Amino acid sequence: MEKTLFEKYGGFSKISKIVLTFYDRMLEDDDVGPFFDDVDLPKLIDHQTQFISALMGGPATFSDDRIERAHRNMNIEHHHFDRLKEIVAETLADFDVAPADIEIVLEGFEHRRVLLVEKPNVD
Amino acid sequence: MSIEAINEQLLRAIGVGVALIDLNALTLQFRNDTFNEWFGENDPAAKLTDLFPDLDSNELLAEMRNGGHMATEISFKLRRRKMTVAMEFNRADDAGRNIAVLVCQNITRIKELESMIDSYSMMVERNTHEIKREKEQVEKLLLNMMPRAAYEEYKTFGVVSPRLFNPVSVLALDFVGFDDLLSENEPGVVVSELNDIYSAFDRIGAQFGCQRIRTNGDSYVTVSGVPDPNDAHAIAIANSAVRFLRYLDRRNMSHPIKWIARIGTAAGSVIGSVVGSQNYIYDVFGPTVTKALSNRAAASPMSVVSDTGFAAQIADRFQITPVVGGDGQVMIEDLPAAGPTG
Repeated sequence: MEKTLFEKYGGFSKISKIVLTFYDRMLEDDDVGPFFDDVDLPKLIDHQTQFISALMGGPATFSDDRIERAHRNMNIEHHHFDRLKEIVAETLADFDVAPADIEIVLEGFEHRRVLLVEKPNVD
Repeated sequence: MSIEAINEQLLRAIGVGVALIDLNALTLQFRNDTFNEWFGENDPAAKLTDLFPDLDSNELLAEMRNGGHMATEISFKLRRRKMTVAMEFNRADDAGRNIAVLVCQNITRIKELESMIDSYSMMVERNTHEIKREKEQVEKLLLNMMPRAAYEEYKTFGVVSPRLFNPVSVLALDFVGFDDLLSENEPGVVVSELNDIYSAFDRIGAQFGCQRIRTNGDSYVTVSGVPDPNDAHAIAIANSAVRFLRYLDRRNMSHPIKWIARIGTAAGSVIGSVVGSQNYIYDVFGPTVTKALSNRAAASPMSVVSDTGFAAQIADRFQITPVVGGDGQVMIEDLPAAGPTG
């Protein structure tokens, strides 16, 4: 069986570092950081661990439903989402993830853009 | 630079928050840079309780009087990050003044890692649970295909080596006019009835310790003595045989499709093994199986036929009559007026 990105990049011990760095950078960023002002910390880390693990083929599933619910009350615009993707790409690159693999993870994010920005299920 | 000055520089620059608390006024006398970075440069008159509203000052003063030590944690927001700091108050041994040293360690990262580990252990636990459930399903499926002993052997060694079982008894059953049944009725109905009947046979056989080996269309083969030896293997098979027919008799009375079976039995040895490398199937072979099949061929509808070798092992419990025109074969029935066999 082909190795998942999760396995390829060292499993949880490495992914946890990626997630924590990603989380630091998101919070410190002036564009996307404010969205996390009132977010409960353990919950945020839980979501990000699961989402990034799931994107990289780790032992997690993260339904689009949950993603949609978590972002329902945020006014996220396209430029916020673009910035988020930049932070993802930078973080992964800093952890020596190959460009092609970064692209796969970014596609996973891009796939959910519509849930966050356009909110198809919110009136 | 004097030693004191160097000490103060160090104290200011250290990554641990340090403050001196005046326990009489509950004000902060000295704060290093890290402390100020976390809690802001408060006005010197500000009380400790203004800075930390959740801190119980009475408890603090009591602890300072008793052991002179208190540890607690507080959380606060620094920019948008939730910080958690472990605080330790230690009363300073200064006869002149009533002061305590407050040392604050940043344990935010530890807290973050704790939540991450929680999150990950939950993922892993959920996965383990799913894998366990899948494993149980696979095991159940394999146990339908082979005896438990063979399955255990397969699980441990990856193969099941052929084994001679001796003595055992074999029962072979088929249905008279099965092809006609299929052509005259809805195939789905026939197969579903066959499924019911085989399930009933499995249950009846299991009562006597028989192990169903295979079904192939209208052919049903079960054995006694595989994989666990059974001294009364022939009696077990004969008991199953007469009950199979009795079950069909009763069933036929209330169902439109009549199932007419023939049964052949034989005793002797068989070889048991898993056959095939892709589609595993546990099977038994040998002359005893062949003999059971040929006895079956000699059976009239709704009868059990065997040979004298088999009959000798069950003689006092069943009625044995020679098959007219047969090749030394015998018919096995319940003893007359003796009630159920057993």
